Amino acid sequence: MSNSQSTPDWLNKLEEQSRISQQAFIDNISTRLRRPRMTEAPDHPYRGTPALWSEFEWDAQQRIDKFTTHFQEVGGHVVRLQTMEQAAGFIADHAVQMNARYLIRQQQPELAELRLEERLPDVQISSWNSDPDEAWKARAAEADIGVVMADGAAAYTGTVMVTSTPHQGRSVSLLPTVCIVILPVDRLYTRLGELLIPMDEIGREHLPAGMHFISGPSRSSDIENDLTIGVHGPGIIYTLLVG
Amino acid sequence: MNPAQSTQGTVKERAGVALNNDFLRNAVKFTTERLRSGKQAASAEHGNWEEWRERGRQIRLHTIAHLDYYLNLFVDNARKNGVHVHFAPDTAAATDIVMTIARNKQAESVVKSKSMVSEELHINRALELAGIETIESDLGEYIIQLAGEGPSHIVIPAIHKNRYQIAELLSEDAGEELPPDTTILAGYVRRKLREKFLGADIGMTGCNFAIAETGSMVLFENEGNARMVTTLPKTQITLMGMERIIPSWEDLEVMATLLPRSATGQRLTMYMSGITGPKRTADGDGPEEMHIIIVDNGRSEQLGDPEFQELLNCIRCGACLNVCPVYRHIGGHSYGGTYSGPIGAVLTPALNRNVAEWDDIANASSLCGACSEACPVKIPLHDMLVYLRRRKVERGHGNRWEALGMKGFAVLMANSKRLNLALKMGRIAQKPVVHNKGITLKIGPLKGWNTYRVTSPMADHSFRENWQELSEDTRRTAPPMNAETRDRMEQILRQRRASGIQGGHHE
Repeated sequence: MSNSQSTPDWLNKLEEQSRISQQAFIDNISTRLRRPRMTEAPDHPYRGTPALWSEFEWDAQQRIDKFTTHFQEVGGHVVRLQTMEQAAGFIADHAVQMNARYLIRQQQPELAELRLEERLPDVQISSWNSDPDEAWKARAAEADIGVVMADGAAAYTGTVMVTSTPHQGRSVSLLPTVCIVILPVDRLYTRLGELLIPMDEIGREHLPAGMHFISGPSRSSDIENDLTIGVHGPGIIYTLLVG
Repeated sequence: MNPAQSTQGTVKERAGVALNNDFLRNAVKFTTERLRSGKQAASAEHGNWEEWRERGRQIRLHTIAHLDYYLNLFVDNARKNGVHVHFAPDTAAATDIVMTIARNKQAESVVKSKSMVSEELHINRALELAGIETIESDLGEYIIQLAGEGPSHIVIPAIHKNRYQIAELLSEDAGEELPPDTTILAGYVRRKLREKFLGADIGMTGCNFAIAETGSMVLFENEGNARMVTTLPKTQITLMGMERIIPSWEDLEVMATLLPRSATGQRLTMYMSGITGPKRTADGDGPEEMHIIIVDNGRSEQLGDPEFQELLNCIRCGACLNVCPVYRHIGGHSYGGTYSGPIGAVLTPALNRNVAEWDDIANASSLCGACSEACPVKIPLHDMLVYLRRRKVERGHGNRWEALGMKGFAVLMANSKRLNLALKMGRIAQKPVVHNKGITLKIGPLKGWNTYRVTSPMADHSFRENWQELSEDTRRTAPPMNAETRDRMEQILRQRRASGIQGGHHE
């Protein structure tokens, strides 16, 4: 984090101002609410979804079917595969078909095991953040294909979740023209809440800086309501459902 | 708030311009109808919509009722995450903080993702005055920025522009002729903005929700530009309305269910991002320095006001715009403020603390209640419009003629002889101005009405004068009353007499 380095004067000054304004700002809220400042956590009887929702669950096959339908309905692609070996084959075939020249992947053991470098000798393949001197954002921006592992998924909304770590860049699922997400079936849940509630349980200190929930290709309807795909993010997105 | 726009006449005048623009009216109608039916389909598909709305309302009510606690909790946690948090009571303070950061970062360019708060603050103007290039990266926002306009819809800012106008704006920007083809136009913006994202010194975002318990901020979007803005520049500034708080990620599931379905009819927007602090030291991307500016700008004035506190529950989905018959005819710019439609009609005067100046937008509504019915957190918008009108009258900003008219009406109605006499006189007095069974005179109080319509003259005989004849007619032709019904009604009548309650005049 930046504040581990020495903080410049102007920022210290802003910080000081902020703590002074905070008092007045929050006190003003209490005054307007016509009661003394509340310092204890209030009872929150309506926390989360309506009661019965948390019991709603699809079986494994339904989850796969619904996820596939929902992701495809908004323009994403879903491919059902049995093994990681098949996933590697799919990525290699597609890279060749699409004439990809640059591919970037997260620096994750599962992805290293795909041995894409061997399968695609003519493609320049890089592994995120594997060399501290590399301009990684630029590498991701030039890539034709980005390959990431999903940390989780929700069938109800057709959403995959990816999180940031030193080895998992946010750019890898964002900047390349094509994004390929590998989703092991045991990470596919029914409800979005099954991905969100663990965030409360993990707690602030252990949350990743970036959590991204992706439900399809980048899109816009800003010009005459005409749907355009791939406005800023990847226009083509595959989820490879493996297992 | 927005002097440039507010001085351009009244809502009625601005709407007059909009009503003459056929494209605008059709485009707004088409888009809002699409969004509206999308919402209906999405809420029906989800099921138990009313129960979810009620839950959404309860979570928002609870958070706002304890906003001092939750906002403070959010600030503490965000600081622990390494975020620099700032407080801005008004526009000037917010602008000042942004400019201080930009100056010290020696920023030459800022890329922005969609933020209604930044529109409220006119932050682009301030940055550009300081010579800092400021780029809106949402496709619709980029288009209206080139046109030098404000957004006319919360969710679809360039709803009022057609593809030829857009091609013209983008061609000028590109320095070459671009055909009016959506794919080509969007492709141009993608290429152009890619460079901007990668080169910008500061990324600026809004904030859909802020999670108090973990100090995280959440963004909903479809294009990926908000992800770019929070991933690529070294410094991130987030402008956040002080009421954007929800307690937990668990509560976010409710908001994530209500917001996209209500806004665009989607199950979820293509991207939902949760950002918790700046990048971790070893991360390869994400902002090194992160600032969150918490903006009041009139919001706290609604707290403790029983009529308007619920305004802070708004999650900015735009569903009320899409169902509003008035918005659909006059478009967003006619409202004259940052926020348009029913929510804008209430929010603008509330945030600006000047009911008098903005009063006419409260009248730009038929009070049909469609907005309240569409609202995913059940804000009683049409009731609030009535409260605004009442406040305007109470503060002496009512219409003098209307007040006089009401007084005259009271005098007339207080006495039946007086009313009968007036009606008789009216019948005689109208004779010279009735032509072809209608009054077309466009003077005095008749001017507004008769410009578009014809006033019907008073009938030769009033309903009351015809009553004798009418009631005999009815008695003759009506089928006899069911014996059971008659018994029941007679019993009610007896009870009423016995209890001494007087009935109406028609016994």
